[in-house]
Amino acid sequence: MIDKMLDSKVAGWVDDRTHLIRYIRFHLIDYPTPKNLNYWYAFGSIALLILVLQIVTGVFLAMDYKPSAILSGGGFSVAFDSVERIMRDVNDGWLIRYMHAVGASAFFFVIYLHMARGMYYGSYKKPREFLWMMGVFILIFMQAIVFFGYLLPWGQMSFWGATVITNIIGAIPFVGDWLLQLVRGGFSVGDPTLNRFFALHFLFPVLLGIVVLWHVMALHVVHSNNPVGVEASEKNIIPFHPYYTVKDLFGIGVFLIIFCWFVFYHPTGFGLMIETDNFNPANSMRTPADISPVWYLTPWYEILRSVPNKLLGIAGMALAYVCLFLLPWLDRSPVRSARYRPVYRSLLLIFFVSIVVLGYCGHHPVTPMLTVVGRTASVIYFSFFVLLPFIHKFEKTKPLPEDI
Amino acid sequence: MKQTMLRLALLFCVLTPLGVLHAEEGPTLKKVNISLDQTTLRKGLNVFTDVCMGCHSLRYMTWRDLMTYPEIGLSRQDVDDLRGDAPLSARMLTELSAKDAMDSYGIVPPDLSLIARARKGHGAYIYSILTGFEHDPKGRVPDGNYNVYFPGHRIAMSDPLGWLDHDSEDEADLKAQAQDVASFLTFVGEPHQVERLAIGKWVMIFLVLMTFVLWLLKRAVWQDVEH
Repeated sequence: MIDKMLDSKVAGWVDDRTHLIRYIRFHLIDYPTPKNLNYWYAFGSIALLILVLQIVTGVFLAMDYKPSAILSGGGFSVAFDSVERIMRDVNDGWLIRYMHAVGASAFFFVIYLHMARGMYYGSYKKPREFLWMMGVFILIFMQAIVFFGYLLPWGQMSFWGATVITNIIGAIPFVGDWLLQLVRGGFSVGDPTLNRFFALHFLFPVLLGIVVLWHVMALHVVHSNNPVGVEASEKNIIPFHPYYTVKDLFGIGVFLIIFCWFVFYHPTGFGLMIETDNFNPANSMRTPADISPVWYLTPWYEILRSVPNKLLGIAGMALAYVCLFLLPWLDRSPVRSARYRPVYRSLLLIFFVSIVVLGYCGHHPVTPMLTVVGRTASVIYFSFFVLLPFIHKFEKTKPLPEDI
Repeated sequence: MKQTMLRLALLFCVLTPLGVLHAEEGPTLKKVNISLDQTTLRKGLNVFTDVCMGCHSLRYMTWRDLMTYPEIGLSRQDVDDLRGDAPLSARMLTELSAKDAMDSYGIVPPDLSLIARARKGHGAYIYSILTGFEHDPKGRVPDGNYNVYFPGHRIAMSDPLGWLDHDSEDEADLKAQAQDVASFLTFVGEPHQVERLAIGKWVMIFLVLMTFVLWLLKRAVWQDVEH
């Protein structure tokens, strides 16, 4: 049926004028894929779906949300009131907001798995270095977007989280103070901050969409890697449609089951996706006992917190991203997939555990013991990148098959 | 397989001790059965308007909401009796002014619209606070202001249900009142939650069926591919 539609006269007329049909064929139908991609490869499609969901739900939320920190009485603000209005009075507003809030967590969960997949099968290696770097860029973009977005409900965690994180900027030498005031639009987080964050929360996803499209187009130039990590021969290549469209659709079905289970049964994600304290309106006179970012930011936050010096902490956090960026050049082994690299595989799994531990530590209030654990995990995180350039010298890789 | 299990065991060994590393905060809350049926919610509403509303407001609830949300579903007559001169569209606000509150308690009592969502433990927290008044073992905090479950144990709200020194025959009634009002405030915190759970059931059923069909489709399409 799709073939019939794309071969129709109307389609031909459009294609003669825009090449639209050609693009659809090239990117969604004929795109050649190795036949051995497993379900780990579905996370790309799932992430794209979430991006669309976030943009659609976000636009509808923006129709009823008011970015104003002006007090409306009893310590509440116009912004906080408007969020509660969405939750109570807007038709199905609660559903749209929960989809958006759970969607943010889902986006990170899926992207982290997507990246883990890329690292495990060596998908960042030549010729996909640029694809990987764009991916890291997308991650940083996403983190900026959620950071802007989390301020909008103007609850206690919104306010104090933004205060803590923007304070980081102030530690930058020479320009720190100036930059801090520029970001906040004043000396402290307040109404101007909320307004500009709302504007940025709208702008950045548009830019993210462009980068994501570019990411997909770049993928379709270098083509997918596969779990074996060797180039597939012609006979093992199949078209994207119908094989991977249906496989990804099934993956999306499984994802939606989990996603909707959270949306309808645990919309606050047990206090991880919408923090309990964020149902208290922002109060600049009352600092919460414990300020912690949302779970998807905590690994990076913990790296920052592990370093006793504020400026060095920022440098550490920045370095954590730089290491990810440089991954294609730090790893010098010619073998891609961890299936054939026992040493890399073990190190990688330890690296993944260190990120989970970092995330755990970053989520909880500082205790002497957690500080030690957090610092150890930080050291493990960086050790991975330090060891990476050398392991190919002694690693005995398993024999690679000729073909997938 | 053996290796995978070994790895999982190792991961488990690393992650489990983390759970005990962070400091436990506050006493364990009492268990409470939060129920969102109409009888409980109406009883909770009565406790709220009789007792709590002397000082606390529900700024996100209007009098009309008591009619329109089917979970409470009061009749117009019932609402008219409750609201007095206030218009139907008015928020459910206390008559205690902020100034009088400051004079009497030194603090403006918090709005309770979102209290069940904004405290760890949610409904159980409200229940525990209402039934947590005791005599201060150190004798520093006056009776009625010492609460086991309040951070710092000193609470400005003085024992609204008369829990302290209650007779044993009143105990069941006080517990029921605390449970009803905890349920009511849980409802008020998210008035669409009953609807959410009701829709959720059908969404899950639909998605499981759809995913099953997609799985069949995937299997059929991939039949001719050796993999």
